[in-house]
Amino acid sequence: MVSPMLAEMGGSIQIGLAGLGSAIGVGLVGMKASEAVGRNPGAFGKVIAIAILGMALAEAIVFYAIFLGGK
Amino acid sequence: MSMKAILVALSLFILPLFARAAGAPAAEPAPSGLPSKAGDIFHIGPLPVSNSMLVTWIVAAGIIVCARSANKNMKEVPDGAQNFWEWMVESLYDFLEAIVGADLVKKTFWFFATIFIFICFTNWFGLIPGVGTIGWGHDTADGFEVTNPLLRGGNADLNMTSAMAIIFMVLWLVWALQSNGIWGFVLHIFGPKGDMSGVMKYFMIVVFFAVGFIEVLSIMFRPISLSFRLFGNIFAGENLLEAMQRVVSHPEWAKDLFSVVLPIPFYFMELLVGIVQALVFMLLTAVFTAVICMHDDDHEKHAHH
Repeated sequence: MVSPMLAEMGGSIQIGLAGLGSAIGVGLVGMKASEAVGRNPGAFGKVIAIAILGMALAEAIVFYAIFLGGK
Repeated sequence: MSMKAILVALSLFILPLFARAAGAPAAEPAPSGLPSKAGDIFHIGPLPVSNSMLVTWIVAAGIIVCARSANKNMKEVPDGAQNFWEWMVESLYDFLEAIVGADLVKKTFWFFATIFIFICFTNWFGLIPGVGTIGWGHDTADGFEVTNPLLRGGNADLNMTSAMAIIFMVLWLVWALQSNGIWGFVLHIFGPKGDMSGVMKYFMIVVFFAVGFIEVLSIMFRPISLSFRLFGNIFAGENLLEAMQRVVSHPEWAKDLFSVVLPIPFYFMELLVGIVQALVFMLLTAVFTAVICMHDDDHEKHAHH
């Protein structure tokens, strides 16, 4: 009963899973960055620099899946 | 112009030509919208020139002309264009000095600053109206459809980003060898780190040797990750803008209105993404260089003073 349901699924599981991981990663970085700024508002500049870097690195994984994945 | 400036200008102008002739890795085309392979505009002899290559030449020429004209009559207290360039160079210098250290930044600043300025302005150039929409095409039922634009975002072409990543890996190797020597370089990757003694030392030598192979694998992946990160962000951004123009298609009266209004917030996002990706590329290359060239003996040097 499960396989007909699975057969109906369209889209790419590979990119979907990579996107899931990437989005969760970016969200975690954002969460911890806002926490850090809340604890120490004066460190906003340093925190945002590291946060943007972390987000860009985490977001890159989904591009590998899109362009380097098979078929 | 100094030798370094000539080298950088040459590599930025000429290298994409040969990378393009060698053939781009064929990423699969998007279902509709921007093709991932840039179209050729004209040929110089046997070498094709693509529309994204033309954009990189225009941006590079623009940066060089603006920088040189701003420095024509240098004032003691700068203002206007000279002030802008001085602010940019000084901020980048301080920023990189904090990452790679004072000795290394003198040797490598030219590359990191060029990469940042060039990628940032190339990304922003792709957002100018007319880039990607003016070109050769054919008539369809809905009007004229452009299939081969005259200008296209420079970094939306995998050849350009791969060229920059490969140039960085060659320079990284040169700087690492200059900094460590061949044996020091091998030792940096495969050798044991930290102080141990006794039987643990011999065990850890074996462990670090095995870890070295994983390190080599991760180093080999760097040019791929650098190029695909930049390409993916910019290409996806252009695709997103085109998709947003096409989203509303049913009510005829709303189609033209929304195709203009809906992409506007995405243009702002693409401005941000352009500068963030330039920053990330520069930061990553700087960190890779710092990791291979900076050692613990820097601490010893400070202790001696």
